[in-house]
Amino acid sequence: MGNFFSLVQNENMKIYRRVRTWVMLGILVIVNLLIPILFSMVESGGQTTIWDSVILSSSFTFFLCTIFSVIIAADSVAGEFSWGTIKLLLIRPWSRSKILLSKYVSVVLFSLLCTLLLAGISILVSSLLFSGAAESGMLPFGKSGMAFTLQYLLCDYVNLFITVAIAFMLSTVFRAGGLAIGLALFMMFTKGIFTTLFSPERYVWAKYLIFTHMDLTNYLQSSEGPGGITLGFSLAVLAVYYIVFLAISWYVFSKRDVAA
Amino acid sequence: MQHEPVVRLEGVTKKVSSKTLVENVTLDIPPGQVFGFLGPNGAGKTTTIRMMVGLTSISQGDIKICGYSIKEHFEKAVSNVGAIVENPEMYKFLTGYQNLRHFARMMTGINDARIQEVVKLVGLNNRIHDKVKTYSLGMRQRLGVAQAILHRPKLLILDEPTNGLDPQGIRELRDYLRHLCHEEGTTVFVSSHLLSEMELMCDSVAIIQNGRLIDVRSLKDGSIEGQDAALETEFMVDEPVKALSILQGGTQQGSLITLKLNRDEVAEMNARLVQAGIKVYGIHTVTRSLEEQFLEMTGGDPIG
Repeated sequence: MGNFFSLVQNENMKIYRRVRTWVMLGILVIVNLLIPILFSMVESGGQTTIWDSVILSSSFTFFLCTIFSVIIAADSVAGEFSWGTIKLLLIRPWSRSKILLSKYVSVVLFSLLCTLLLAGISILVSSLLFSGAAESGMLPFGKSGMAFTLQYLLCDYVNLFITVAIAFMLSTVFRAGGLAIGLALFMMFTKGIFTTLFSPERYVWAKYLIFTHMDLTNYLQSSEGPGGITLGFSLAVLAVYYIVFLAISWYVFSKRDVAA
Repeated sequence: MQHEPVVRLEGVTKKVSSKTLVENVTLDIPPGQVFGFLGPNGAGKTTTIRMMVGLTSISQGDIKICGYSIKEHFEKAVSNVGAIVENPEMYKFLTGYQNLRHFARMMTGINDARIQEVVKLVGLNNRIHDKVKTYSLGMRQRLGVAQAILHRPKLLILDEPTNGLDPQGIRELRDYLRHLCHEEGTTVFVSSHLLSEMELMCDSVAIIQNGRLIDVRSLKDGSIEGQDAALETEFMVDEPVKALSILQGGTQQGSLITLKLNRDEVAEMNARLVQAGIKVYGIHTVTRSLEEQFLEMTGGDPIG
């Protein structure tokens, strides 16, 4: 009945018809414009390449990108419950799984939009401001600046993608947007501490913790992570966590009794 | 009933942990009626409605809408239903029209002309392109009705639809529901605790208390008691004591004498009184309002 695309269209409408969304996208654009400009002002010697600038800039702005995607993800399901519109949504001839999936798709689309916006603007502005062609100290041997940067951004996106899945799950389970945002961001900022405390070098079981694997940028410099874990292993662990998060969301959402 | 019922509740029970909210309710709702669902607060009305639209799981029993089980064929069953469950909550940051577009996209075969038609029907033409957050409760109620009837459902379920409406709004809603029911053949299922309202609006009512169905009755065409049933009749006379002995029975209260009589007996008793020289100032049958019947049935039982 009907087509799934119209459900996604609905979810998109609910994201982009809100002033809040445009404020967030606006902030993202402005910050991505400003940070390379600030670099160009403090930088001296004309040594910085375009790609150095992009990586430095995105190491700031990707936080913003993640936070905004998490906010949208956290509100996707919890918002419907707090507005009471969930009742109108679930009495249409669509299974709950499809409604949940349409919400998730719209959230992922938003996170892609943010990331592409971030990458596009910072590459554009950096290429206007910087022209240094020197070999960068940040680059591992034998990689071009562009390839390294794109891989770096891809690793950042994987990190964001998992964080968003966590926020989406928490939003579905607790039906409280604030809690979902808070916990997801808590995980984002503390995963470094967790990795330090429970390093796979000290504890064998620590290599099955999600925190150990969320930041894949290490693999750009060396093929082996702490405790001898490999990229393939990291991806496998992330995939398992990801599937579990989505399965929990799906189970809770489709079984829940919707009451006031 | 000669027609297949639109909704069939078969021994429906809802348990939440150890509490039974709805217990073994069996009810057929015939097509083309405004069917009232009456009960005090906490009787299980909303819980039953939530089960009918699949918002809440059914612990035991089944509900069939147009022959499809809401448990097994949810999508087919629910496509025959339009509903407002509790308050008509809409997306406040969207306009009324965008809200309707949103719900129209979730159904098949609703074009723009149909949306316009529905908007006109509920009288929101002037404000439909304003954001819902600027709407009054009455306007949101109208928008709620609009989204519920967009796809011309066979069954319209309204939970406490007159909540928060002014008398004018209530009247319009009532006329409108009657129109839907009688012109378009929609079956309307309305829950309420406002008895006088139900009496004006409904063809039949089911009464629920403490999760149990306690009565189903028709309200129109002389009700279930029929033409020739004995009704409570009051005689207003000048000499009640004398009249009492002539009438052989009944109860006296001031100048009123009350007894149960059918049509012919009323005429006969009147003749007797007049022959005995008693002045009869008035005769009328005591029709108990739904409210009195309801209170009588549900007693003063506490909620729970």
